Amino acid sequence: MPAQHEGSVPRSDRRDRRLSESSARSRLTLETLYADAQPYPMMRRAGGRAALSGREDSTGSTSSVDLFTIAANRIGYGPRPGQRDEWVSLGASEGERLWNYVSQQLDPGGIVDTEYDNRRASFGGYSTLDKSLAQLWTEHNLNSEWQIRTLPSDEAEFDTFLRAIYSRRQLEAVMSEFWRDHFSAYAWEGWGWSLWPDWMRLLRTNCFGNFHQLLIGTVQHPIMLYYLDNFQSTVAGPNENHARELIELHTMGADHYLGVAPWQNVPLDGNGVPIAYVDNDVYETTRALTGWSVAYTSSRGNTGEFYYDSDDHDRFQKIILQNFLPADQPDLKDGMDVLQALADHDGTAAYICRKLCQRFIADNPPQSVVDAASAVWKSLRDDPFQIRETVRTILTSQEFQNTWGEKTKRPFEVVVGALRATQMHFEWERDGDDIGTFFGRFGDTGHALFSWRAPNGYPDSRDKWESATTRVMTWRFILWMIDSEEPGGAFRLKALDQTPPEVRSPNALADFWIDRLLQRPMDPADRQVIVDFMAQGFNPDFDVNLANDSTYERLLSMIGLILNSPEALKR
Amino acid sequence: MKSTRRGFCVGCSTAIASLAGSRFNSLAFGGQEGINDDILLVVFLRGGIDGLNLVPPTTHPDRVHYEVARNDIQVPLSGSNSALDIGGGFGLHRGAQRLHELYQDGNVAIVQATGMTTVSTRSHFDAMEYMELGTPGSGSSTTGWLARHLSTATNLPTEVVMPSLAVGSLEPRSLLGSDETASLGNVSSFSLQMGPGGWRSAHRTALRHLINNGSTQLHLSCSRALDAVDIVELNVEGGYTPDNGAQYPNGSFGNNLRAIAQIIKIGLGLRIATLDLGGWDTHNGQGNDGGGFFFDNVEQLSEGLHAFYTDMDGGGGTPSYNPRITTVVMSEFGRRVRENANNGTDHGSGNNLLVIGGSVNGGIYGTWPGLADEQLFDNADLAVTTDYRQVLTEILVRRLQNTAIGTIFPGYVPDYLSNGPLGVVQGTDLTIDSPALFEDGFENGTLNWSVTQS
Repeated sequence: MPAQHEGSVPRSDRRDRRLSESSARSRLTLETLYADAQPYPMMRRAGGRAALSGREDSTGSTSSVDLFTIAANRIGYGPRPGQRDEWVSLGASEGERLWNYVSQQLDPGGIVDTEYDNRRASFGGYSTLDKSLAQLWTEHNLNSEWQIRTLPSDEAEFDTFLRAIYSRRQLEAVMSEFWRDHFSAYAWEGWGWSLWPDWMRLLRTNCFGNFHQLLIGTVQHPIMLYYLDNFQSTVAGPNENHARELIELHTMGADHYLGVAPWQNVPLDGNGVPIAYVDNDVYETTRALTGWSVAYTSSRGNTGEFYYDSDDHDRFQKIILQNFLPADQPDLKDGMDVLQALADHDGTAAYICRKLCQRFIADNPPQSVVDAASAVWKSLRDDPFQIRETVRTILTSQEFQNTWGEKTKRPFEVVVGALRATQMHFEWERDGDDIGTFFGRFGDTGHALFSWRAPNGYPDSRDKWESATTRVMTWRFILWMIDSEEPGGAFRLKALDQTPPEVRSPNALADFWIDRLLQRPMDPADRQVIVDFMAQGFNPDFDVNLANDSTYERLLSMIGLILNSPEALKR
Repeated sequence: MKSTRRGFCVGCSTAIASLAGSRFNSLAFGGQEGINDDILLVVFLRGGIDGLNLVPPTTHPDRVHYEVARNDIQVPLSGSNSALDIGGGFGLHRGAQRLHELYQDGNVAIVQATGMTTVSTRSHFDAMEYMELGTPGSGSSTTGWLARHLSTATNLPTEVVMPSLAVGSLEPRSLLGSDETASLGNVSSFSLQMGPGGWRSAHRTALRHLINNGSTQLHLSCSRALDAVDIVELNVEGGYTPDNGAQYPNGSFGNNLRAIAQIIKIGLGLRIATLDLGGWDTHNGQGNDGGGFFFDNVEQLSEGLHAFYTDMDGGGGTPSYNPRITTVVMSEFGRRVRENANNGTDHGSGNNLLVIGGSVNGGIYGTWPGLADEQLFDNADLAVTTDYRQVLTEILVRRLQNTAIGTIFPGYVPDYLSNGPLGVVQGTDLTIDSPALFEDGFENGTLNWSVTQS
């Protein structure tokens, strides 16, 4: 096996998708950047940033929105045209609609997904995505031709966008993303290139299932066994990488880590279970997982599937979380005992339920909803739909319904949300026009898919996504997108086709597109900025001529402005 | 306040006003009475660098323990990958050839066996969080240590175009809560010159107005971002040529260092910069006999730091910047002394920390705890003998002349008080503020109890 590390296979080696940007750039002036007088930009200013323009201290311009907005933006990737009408048809009251929407979404198999299916079919169906793990291994990983070897991960990347944009199974896409971050691995190295679709399938098909089963699936998957080195962890040479992250990141969480401390001294809870783990538990878990490997050699059949090698397993007794595991247990039992103990641990329930609430509600969710979710999680430990019922508890809670704008959309959500709202079409296939530029520019936001190097996954808290890089590069992506053209020169954004003929005044255009893109009103002050932009000093009730190229481009730019507004970043 | 652009500039600080309409230069923020113009660059090596192979014992008596523990991955004493001598019984990894040149010129201090003396964790994420927040044992602070330095420094101009810069896509926790930090991933693409050509300035103006309509954290972060891109577009031209023939290594680390050099030279008042280099979590195949992956990554680090120093060393009539630039190279922890069976190393404890600059007193510092079995932490790791905050405190005081250590590192009582400074950098020692505690004290995560250590 070649050595693999963070950074050992630069993404750019895979394919150069980025258009080369002109490195020479001439300096601009404030007069060029802005249409009106602006103070010289400064990061440190007397009186501080908030004093810059005498801002009011407020908690947000739109402090309350309706339940549809909350559901569309937090149970999915933002509203698409027509979605509000479907929502209204779900029940007589808002509460009933939410309950029914959540119930539908928690049963993805019951949702007819015609548009996603058709789009996927139009791109040739992504033939690698339905292949078994062994097929992906044999037909792709063992294939020396680079284009064939790497096709599965490319198709998985396209499919992830496609599902988020077009699938009606929005919650399934969101939960798949949640588990993708939770069980974070890196696609663009080693076996990732070829086996990634099977990894995505594991996370998707178990996204509402039983955590213990999902956990076993991840620990035995070649993607994780490779990423965290366990495939080569043996009794003769144990490697603790996977064991440590299994406990710290995948189950109990660092809140339940006491560092280097004697295992005997960890206090017990009411059921006699130690309430935290120490380094000895990591070491013992490492031993329990020795021999958990992959059939990657001919002597093991070379199928790429999980392979347990009893010769490589440490057969002696172990003490994990103060459980005694006797020597010479049957094959796999040591590891299975550990996974059972970790999945059952109260700390795991608390840690993962908190993460779920952080995803769906707020960075600091009320403890009441975390506790409610955790209670369901624990009571359904052996239930095949443990996660589904936990998520139902969160999504129908008062805390979920009463919170808005505590989260900021990450770049993936911003871009997917914009594509859903505008219905812009890109060719999600290898030779698709502009698709390389699309991914290059999307990567500049810092949120490229399957690309987070460390095992803790992309962060999901607001403060970690507030960097100027992310913000500027996301704005820039939207600006590029609204200005992009199909082969032949027509704008991808079919703004004219989507604007009713009677909507032509700046006031009407602003209102129509605000509703179209956000499906909720903007704060009056924000709306006025949009109207003023479209009116450019003329009477906002007078029609503009969209047949004029420049005016039409102003409409495109106005659409970009709504998408780039702080309001559009809230969820 | 309604004001025209011209009117506003008159209202700006004198430094800005005197330069309005012209290019800023490095004198804009320096040289004023009472103003500190030192620059601190923090390079964080993500993943836990194997410091024991970066600075291996050579003629030190512990060489024998080192060779026993690291049969395959040891840095050899002879051959093409042999360690480079730095005296004191230690050497530098061969990949650090360029760093060795800086060392020989007296511009590199190596502090041995640093880390957190108050807590032990082998978790990357806990360790990074603790170190960068500056609160070992607690991850609950809403500000990082560099942010607290910036907010407590009384010797900076009241108005600075870009006091602080984080290069990379996400900001490090050390700058958490800083409202005056710009971040950028790639200078050449950091621009909003995009979208329908005829409407760019109108779009930007409207975007600015939308941002000014609110004062939530979201609006403030947008305001910060738009300021940052304005500043870069107004000041940074493409086609930057480093001075003195400095050659940055290919890749994002070299590019990021070059961007920092360029921005320092433009004279935007930069005081703090951070950047990361990853790839140090070498659990397998890190490279035998002083070569391999670890060699390449060390080489990238070393060549980048050397190029930056060279580039900043003056030329063309400009004095060297290096006397006022201090670069700290740190990592969350070291690695296990004993190699694992995959020719890699697992998470450990004590690690060396590098300080580089023109005002550095070159040499080896700190107490070497030893590699004999009974000297190791938890029977496995190089022990920690110097708290990383001791080194940072010295730099804060002697170079940046900030004495608010009690706020920057709450609860930390530096050895600086009892034993004096290590002496890694030149400067005047000042009386530092008494340590203060955060309201939430120092619990271990969310657990309000501790374990008996015996």
